[in-house]
Order: sequence, then structure tokens, then C-alpha cells
Amino acid sequence: MEQTLKETKRQNPKKLLGVNTEDAKVALSYFTVAFVSLLLGGILGLLQGLERADLIQLPSWLNYYQVLTAHGLLLLVVFTATFTIGYQFANLSHSFGGLLPKVRKLAWIGFGLMVFGVALVTVMIILNEASVLYTFYPPLAAHPLFYVGLVFVVVGIWACCFGVFINYRHWRKNHRGQVTPLLAYFAMGVFVLWFFASIGVTIEVLTLIPWSMGLVETTNVMVARTLFWWFGHTLVNIWYLVATSAWYVIVPKIIGGRHFNEKLIRLVVILIVVLNIPGGFHHQIIDPAISTSIKFLHVFMSLSIAVPSLMTAFAMFFVFERTGRKLGGKGLLGWLKKLPWGDVRFLAPMIAMISFIPGGAGGIVNTSNQLNQVVHNTMWVVGHFHVTVGMSVVLTFFGICYWLIPYLSKRQLTPKMNKIGVIQTIVWTVGMTIMAGSMHIAGLFGDPRRTSDTSYGGHEVAASWISYELIFGIGATILLVGVLIQVYAVFNMMFFAPKGETEFPVAEPEDNAAPVPLWTERWGLWIVLLLAVVAMAYVVPIVDMILNAPPGSPPIRTW
Amino acid sequence: MKQAIYGLILFTFLALPPVANLLESIMIMHMHMQMPLLVFAGFLIARFFQLKFPQFFERWNANGVPGMLLFLIIWLYWMVPRAMDEALTSPFMELFKFFSLTFLAGIALRDSWKKLGNIEFSIMYIFFTLKFIIMGYLYLAIEDQICNNYLIIEQKTLGWGSLAMAVCFVIFGFYWHFTDQSEYQKVDL
Ligand code: HEM
Ligand SMILES: [Cu+2]
Repeated sequence: MEQTLKETKRQNPKKLLGVNTEDAKVALSYFTVAFVSLLLGGILGLLQGLERADLIQLPSWLNYYQVLTAHGLLLLVVFTATFTIGYQFANLSHSFGGLLPKVRKLAWIGFGLMVFGVALVTVMIILNEASVLYTFYPPLAAHPLFYVGLVFVVVGIWACCFGVFINYRHWRKNHRGQVTPLLAYFAMGVFVLWFFASIGVTIEVLTLIPWSMGLVETTNVMVARTLFWWFGHTLVNIWYLVATSAWYVIVPKIIGGRHFNEKLIRLVVILIVVLNIPGGFHHQIIDPAISTSIKFLHVFMSLSIAVPSLMTAFAMFFVFERTGRKLGGKGLLGWLKKLPWGDVRFLAPMIAMISFIPGGAGGIVNTSNQLNQVVHNTMWVVGHFHVTVGMSVVLTFFGICYWLIPYLSKRQLTPKMNKIGVIQTIVWTVGMTIMAGSMHIAGLFGDPRRTSDTSYGGHEVAASWISYELIFGIGATILLVGVLIQVYAVFNMMFFAPKGETEFPVAEPEDNAAPVPLWTERWGLWIVLLLAVVAMAYVVPIVDMILNAPPGSPPIRTW
Repeated sequence: MKQAIYGLILFTFLALPPVANLLESIMIMHMHMQMPLLVFAGFLIARFFQLKFPQFFERWNANGVPGMLLFLIIWLYWMVPRAMDEALTSPFMELFKFFSLTFLAGIALRDSWKKLGNIEFSIMYIFFTLKFIIMGYLYLAIEDQICNNYLIIEQKTLGWGSLAMAVCFVIFGFYWHFTDQSEYQKVDL
């Protein structure tokens, strides 16, 4: 019986698994919000790029700082979160053969809460009541409703988290002695991390609401910044975990191979979940009120995340070489030619992975104390995260669209759409390379980030970076073309592409693969370890910040 | 055997003067990081001794209780503020700390780990949870400086840190007790 079940699974997975129509609606709704946000965020990105390069002058009712706040929040929070939820719920539905009805309901509740929250936040930004940038650090204070909007977004995410936990428990209860499908395992990792990441920012926002309303006079700025980066840094690794789920499980199938050793893949997930949160301190290397020895200890925490990253890089290239050789690639690099470069489902994530090499190198620069002094708050940092998020993560997400969206809408990925996807990938790569590359260089000259006018009255030092700002203007324009193509492709595949069947590509293990150990499923243990790591990492600086606190800051509005 | 080598590498790393100095400069890192890591190094190194001298462990630690007691005594000794102070001021005591935590406590813990019965294990677990709670409370409640080498704020930090560890222990205890462990056992269909 077991044998035949396995056989059918291998030969005709669609018979057993599949996203059901109700679940597809959930995922597609999240994708709709994601790509509307991408469009708006992309337009705002171009506007601020042009304003910086002094090519346009934004009107007084929509100034640079409003645009920057909206760009950051729409892309960094809304686009990535909604895409992640859509994709992960589709994976879960596919792996478990459909979501539980109550879980689907939770996903819809989350959707409603998030849309409402985002609308509130956006309105406050447009009313010029919340130019606090996406990091909303105090003492800059926004209108209380801005923070209330953020609370709705977080609660929406929690609804989705609980949905995933419930469905996972349900499946485990009914499948004794079996390991969960790999994509569902990744989903658990993503949502566990999301839940614990959001606790930091929730505490922060709940203290900022009474403060911005004037009910309490002051707030502890350092504690707020620390809680923000508890969340902000972890968010980065949530995207990274989402992207790696596609790299490990989807990409090998697309190139006609098998996935890497599952035990090691699961170990990567566990390491990322357990070690992650304290990495937040590397965003505070310049902050006062954290002692040098603690900052030094935290270098280890953030570099320890390099371990799973390097494991991933190794594993992926191992899979590529093995598959390329199986397909007849010869010589040292001949296998590279055998990979399906003309297939957007492969090309986009592949470029994403390659860009993770400069992205990771830049990250090691940022996390090194002395080098951070040079690049902190310059355009270098903006260049860095446009490479890491704007390329490594976003191109992986784009690549996923080309099979997942037609699969969900029961349509086809036509050869023409594939070609459009390849062009989009190239446009995006060129645009981002130009923009992020020139941002890195301008940053080394000292060009400050988050500043609408950096000409400083024509001072000669400022003159050294002005020409690079024109180059980011060019990159930004190319990128907007990329955004338009991508948004067109997404909605075309959602509503207009020819009807048909599309494959949901999930790689299988090697035939002789070792069984996957069940202990990897002990999420209770991983969560306790995560909490213990957080407790050890945060107790020293937080107790210091609170017991040795300065008087605290009243709300300040600079605009 | 590989494990024993990893353990030795960890031990050597912790013994490097800059590493030891850094960890010992912060009270909570001294107690909640350096010392447990030393025990963990011994836990890994134990493999070597277990393979080399199986009769010894068989004879002296047949049911795991003697090993556990040895571990407990050494661990509790190093929880005494006076002992931590001495390790910082006297090189001999520092040496004894590295030796006793790794080669007595760590090895004893490893050898007893699998041998202890469920009840003994649960007693140990509850004992350590209570120890964290009581220590946390004491360090937060005491107004005097109890270590020559550490300021009061470090004491308070250690208090909060101990309570946080207690919370982790309690959560894990509930998780362990209330989930069906057979779920994680392979079943043959
Ligand atoms: C059309 C594509 C894009 C363009 C043209 C663009 C352009 C820019 C520019 C010019 C800045 C301003 C930097 C400054 O003045 O300090 C910026 C900031 C930023 N961008 Fe983008 N970007 C694009 C895509 C993205 C994507 C896809 C993401 C993330 C998913 C992203 C996240 C951010 C963030 C977080 C900031 C920083 C906001 C802040 O400092 O408060 N961008 N972008
Ligand atoms: Cu970070």
C-alpha cells in the first residue's frame, strides 16, 4: 500500500496534491495587493530618485519625505508581506491537499485587517501626518492613527501565523511518524519567525501610541530602536527564508533535477529560525548606550547567519552541477551551459542567487564595526538593500509568479509570456545594477541617505557625488519599466492568459536519499531555543538602557 | 570521536585569553554563557573517555545518579558569588574552574544523561527550573553588591536573565509534558 502511494505521488502528483480553488482565491488576492503596492512603490521610487538627482521638484503637497516613507513601507512591508503570505499559503495548500476551512477563514481575516491597516497608514502619510520613514523611530512622532494602522497590519499577520500553526498541528496529528512535506516545513519556519519577530515591534508601537497622543510625556528612544531592529532585521531573514524555499525545492525541479539532502535543508531552516533575532544589533553599531563589548559579541551573532547562507550557496551549486552533468555537461564548467537559461522560472531566481554574492559581501562590510563607521547612513546602505532585497529576494518572487499565478488561475504560461519574463528579468537586473552600483559608490564619497537635497549649496565635496545621483536616476527609470512589465505580466497571467494546466514544480529527493529525521519537527524545542537565544542576547543591553535611562524624549515633528 | 575533537576545539577557544576575558567581563556572560559552554565542551569530550574507559563508567556510574550528583555539586559551587570572584582574582581558581566544569561536570553529565530514569530526570529538571527562579529573585531583590568584581546593575541583569531562562525551562517543560512524544517516533505502516 505504502509503495503504491509513493508511486502515484511520484508519477502523478496532481492526483493527490493541489491547491484547491478556494485556497487559490486567497493566494491570488494577496498577490493582487502585492503587485498594486509594487506599482505604487515603484512610481514613488522613481519620483524620489529624480528629485534627488535634481531633475524634478516634488510639489509641496507630496514632498520627498512623504514619498520616501510611502516607498519604504509599501515595498518593504506591504509588498513582501503580502507576496509571502500568498505564496506560503499556496505551498501549504499544495502540500497538505487543501487548507482547513477555519485556516482559510483566518487567512481572509488577516487579509482584511492588513488592507485596512495599510489604508490607514497610507492616508496618514498622504495627509502629511506621518513623515517618519519606514523605520518610524522616535523621537520623530507620527499621528497616532499611523501607529494604529501598523497594529492592524501586525494583527493581520498574526491571524495568518495562527492559521499556519493550526494547519500544521492538524496535519501532524493525522500523519503519525511521517515528516511534513518540505514546503510546509519551510512555511512553519517562516511563520514562527514572523510571529516572534513581530513581538518586538508590537511592544514598541504600543508604547508609541500613548506617547504620540500626549498621554505619556516621554519615551525611551534607545529601547524603541532596539525593539524596532529586533523586528526589522528578522524581517530580512524572513524574506530570505521564503526565497530559499524556492531555491531549494522549486528550482531543482525546474532544471530537471532532484533536491539536496533534506536533513541539511531542514538544518538550515532551524539555524535561521533559532539564531536570527539578535542579529538586529548590527543595525545599531553606531548607536550610543550599547557597550563595545556587547556590540563585539553581537558580531558573532550576525556572522553566525553566514553559516546557513554559505550552506545554501554550496548546496545550490552542488545541485546545479549534478543536474548539469546528468544532462550531459562536460568539463569544468560545461554543466553551466546545460541549465535552462531561457526559462524565466529558472533565470530570475538564478540571477537572484548570484546577486546574493555581492549582497552578502556588502552585508559583512556593514556588520564590521570600523567599516560601518564609513558607510552608516550613506547611500551605500541604500545600494546594499536594493541589491539584497531588490534583487535577491524580489527577483526570486518575480520568478515564482511565472508558474504560481497561472497555476492558481488555471491558465498557461505561454512561450510569449516566458519571453516577456526573460526580458523583464534582464531589464530589472540592468536597472538595479546601475542604480545600486552607483548608490554604493556615492555612499563611499559620503552622500547621505534619506535627504532630499544633497547639493549643499554646490559645495565641492557634494559635487563628488552629484553625478552618481544622475546615474541612479537613469537606473531608477529603467527599473520603473521593469515594474510596469512585471505588473502587466502578473495581471495578464491572472486574468487573460489562455486557460490550461500549469505545473507546480516541487523537486523530489534523490532515489537513494536517507530518511528525514523526525526530530527536525520538534518546533516546540526550536521555539524554546529561539527564546533562550533572545533572552541571553537582549537582557544585557535592555536592562542597561532601562536602568541607566536618560530622561526620555517628547514627541517631535520636524515637518 | 569526532565529537570529542569538536569539544576540545570549543574548550581551547573558550580558554583563549581574549575570549575568556571578554566573557568574564560581563557577569551574565560569565555565568550563563562561559560556564554552560565549558560544560557543553566536556559533554562532547566525554565521548572519548566513554569509549576508552567503559568499565570505569560502568562501575562508578551504573544508574547515572552518582554522575548527576557530581555535576550538581560542581555546578552549584560555581553559582556561589564568592567562587566566581575567586576565579577572576586567582589564576589557580580560574584553572580549577575550566577543569572542573569541563572534565568533571561535563563528562559526568554526559554519562548520566541517558542512564537517568524518567523520574530522576524530571526531578533534575524541576530543580534547575526552581534554581533559576530563586536565583533570579535573589539577584533582583538584593540591594547590596555581592561580587567584588561586578556592579549592582550587572547583578540585576543576571537576575532578569535567570528569570528569562526559568521561563524558557517552564515552557519547554509544558511542551514536553503535554505533547505526545510518540508522534516523533517512526511508525511502520
Ligand atoms: C522601481 C524600483 C525602485 C526604485 C527606483 C527605488 C529607488 C529608491 C530610492 C531613490 C530610494 C531613496 C534613498 C534615499 O534617498 O535615501 C529608495 C529607498 C528605499 N527603497 Fe527603493 N527603489 C526601488 C525598489 C525597491 C524595492 C523593490 C524595495 C524593497 C522591497 C525597496 C526598498 C527601499 C527602502 C526600504 C528604502 C529606504 C527608505 C528609507 O530610507 O526610509 N526599493 N529606493
Ligand atoms: Cu540585519
